[in-house]
Amino acid sequence: MQPEHGGSEYSEDGVDLTLIRWMLSLTPSERLQVVEDHANEIIELRESIRAAG
Amino acid sequence: MAQLRIREILRALRRHEVNFIVVGGISAVLQGAPLNTFDLDIVHSRESGNVQRLILALREMEAVYRLQSQRKLSPSESHLESKGHQLLATKFGPLDVLGEIGHSRSYADLLPLSFEWSPEPGNDVRVLGLETHILVKEEVAAPKDLAVLPVLRRTLEERSRRS
Repeated sequence: MQPEHGGSEYSEDGVDLTLIRWMLSLTPSERLQVVEDHANEIIELRESIRAAG
Repeated sequence: MAQLRIREILRALRRHEVNFIVVGGISAVLQGAPLNTFDLDIVHSRESGNVQRLILALREMEAVYRLQSQRKLSPSESHLESKGHQLLATKFGPLDVLGEIGHSRSYADLLPLSFEWSPEPGNDVRVLGLETHILVKEEVAAPKDLAVLPVLRRTLEERSRRS
């Protein structure tokens, strides 16, 4: 999934608006899936680093 | 650490008919904020019957205190009837069970400021509105809360622009 474009890409306080627009284009269930996938990828990565070290 | 399976946590809570509101990072994500989070935060009703049902749901999820997980300590009725924060590990991932948030905001205070969301048919849950989530962050004003405020405020603006 690609971020949507349109308008400024960053707000005055430096927030990436393309990410917000992309998240708003998803359904709440899809948003939940995005955050679960991110969290689980980081958990797996952390565990693989721990196992290797 | 268990994989994060938020839908499974929500299912267990609903199966036991627990009255709760999804708050914190997941409530913001559901409303479009591009944030990363590793746990689910809920504020529950501290009414006695609800606490009993919550204990059953937590038992089913094998919930224990996260910071002393080797000791396998579970929250008691008195813990869950308090205003405090119970930071738990479950077999479906981390779950924070909060008696109150912000400036003493309880389940009853937050309920009218929440909306209903159905992750699946017959499994409706209440989610704290983004405006109130921002207000709570402003009230707490800890560095980690202040850090996400710009993203939350811009999300609210973008959402308003679209509606």
